[in-house]
Amino acid sequence: MANQEPRVIDNQRVLGVVPGKPAAGDRKELQEQDTVMVWPHLLVRHAVAALFVLLVVMLIALFFDAPLREIANPTNTPNPEKAPWYFAALQELLAHFHPLIAGVLVPGAIIGGLVALPYIDRNPSLLPQARRIARVTFTVFMVAWILLTLVGFAFRGPNWSWVWPWEEWHGEL
Amino acid sequence: MKYLDRIKRSAAYRSIFRLPDVATDRDRAASHWSSFLLHLYPVKVRRRELRFGYSAFLGVASLVLFASLVVSGIYLMFFYVPSPSTAYGNIQTIQTNIAFGQYIRNTHRWAAHLMVLAVAAHMAKVFYRGAYKPPKEFNWVVGVVLLVLTLLLSFTGYLLPWDQLAYWAVTVGTSMASYVPLAGETTKDILLGGPTVGSSTLVRFYVLHVAVLPVATVAVLTIHMWRWRKDAMLTVDEPEIAEPAEDELVLATAEGDE
Ligand code: HEM
Repeated sequence: MANQEPRVIDNQRVLGVVPGKPAAGDRKELQEQDTVMVWPHLLVRHAVAALFVLLVVMLIALFFDAPLREIANPTNTPNPEKAPWYFAALQELLAHFHPLIAGVLVPGAIIGGLVALPYIDRNPSLLPQARRIARVTFTVFMVAWILLTLVGFAFRGPNWSWVWPWEEWHGEL
Repeated sequence: MKYLDRIKRSAAYRSIFRLPDVATDRDRAASHWSSFLLHLYPVKVRRRELRFGYSAFLGVASLVLFASLVVSGIYLMFFYVPSPSTAYGNIQTIQTNIAFGQYIRNTHRWAAHLMVLAVAAHMAKVFYRGAYKPPKEFNWVVGVVLLVLTLLLSFTGYLLPWDQLAYWAVTVGTSMASYVPLAGETTKDILLGGPTVGSSTLVRFYVLHVAVLPVATVAVLTIHMWRWRKDAMLTVDEPEIAEPAEDELVLATAEGDE
């Protein structure tokens, strides 16, 4: 600026630039729905989030070793036999229902239901108060799934019997 | 600041980033599109999308975890042969005799678990924000495909260490396949390559885990991110509908809940 010719716009010219904020009345207060440039506003936040995730992974990897049990032995079935934790809810259902229901129909219905969700819920509102049915339905399924996962993961021992995780630990990661 | 400006004016810098001298929003948008990495993003977003509470950055977290899994996974591939006679020993060697082996294996294992959590949480967050509503319905569907791919990636990887945990978890998991109506036995045969989990299963899971599923995931992710940008720009172009006032809200509730 300093060593350039002043620009004349509509017979007005810049005499000087004063650092600081404009007087309160001239300030444009940004609203939530106003737009901002992605660079830098969103990108710096994404960068911080990314670094945070990497830091968490690094710390866990430094302090906890991945499990490695004895070599696979097809003749020695462990008791309990546990699926990975993200399938623990299905395995828990398998203990109560016919495998066709627990192993095929339920997962099929979940995936199908999730795919269909945006086409079933045609309520255009984004307001939580106006989406009570959708929110309650989703929450009920989600909480049920989390509970089943927890039970299958931590509360089941030999022969899939109930155990308290603080007495006997059978969860595997 | 002076040095930063010097760098920004240098011939090398300007050959990489094509910045105009005076930047208006229009110029910024132009330079945004001329940068390969930036063009994956929309140019503008609404201010509320910057807040943590908007997305909790869970989509970004899933993406970062996936990237760290690709990097650590490639390192592990150098030292791993998918055969019952070598797999388990390879893992032991990685942990004891390979530079950073234990650390990289830990990273791969924990990032995989975290990715399942992050993707599930991302889905829940998207649901509660209502971000699956028009025009974003299809991106939600693409997301469900990504969720399934994430689970399959985790599950196929679980077998590779060939220890008791791996062997029996996969035995339980694949036993469900035989209950698929009509094609049950065929499905199980295709997955296992034999009556029980064995050397063919290990090769199949390995190929799925290091080639088929990652490539499929990257392909579907590309669509997901592309749609995210397109949908974001659509919603920015649209005039914003103001939040209804209190009395209008009652009406909206009555309509929404019918
Ligand atoms: C591999 C797994 C996934 C990755 C890496 C991923 C990544 C992302 C990223 C980076 C964004 C944009 C930023 C954000 O909202 O955080 C996004 C948006 C979105 N994701 Fe995912 N995602 C994954 C899985 C899913 C799943 C399982 C669903 C739902 C079933 C989903 C549905 C959506 C939707 C609807 C948007 C648009 C949100 C908006 O525009 O406000 N994604 N995803």
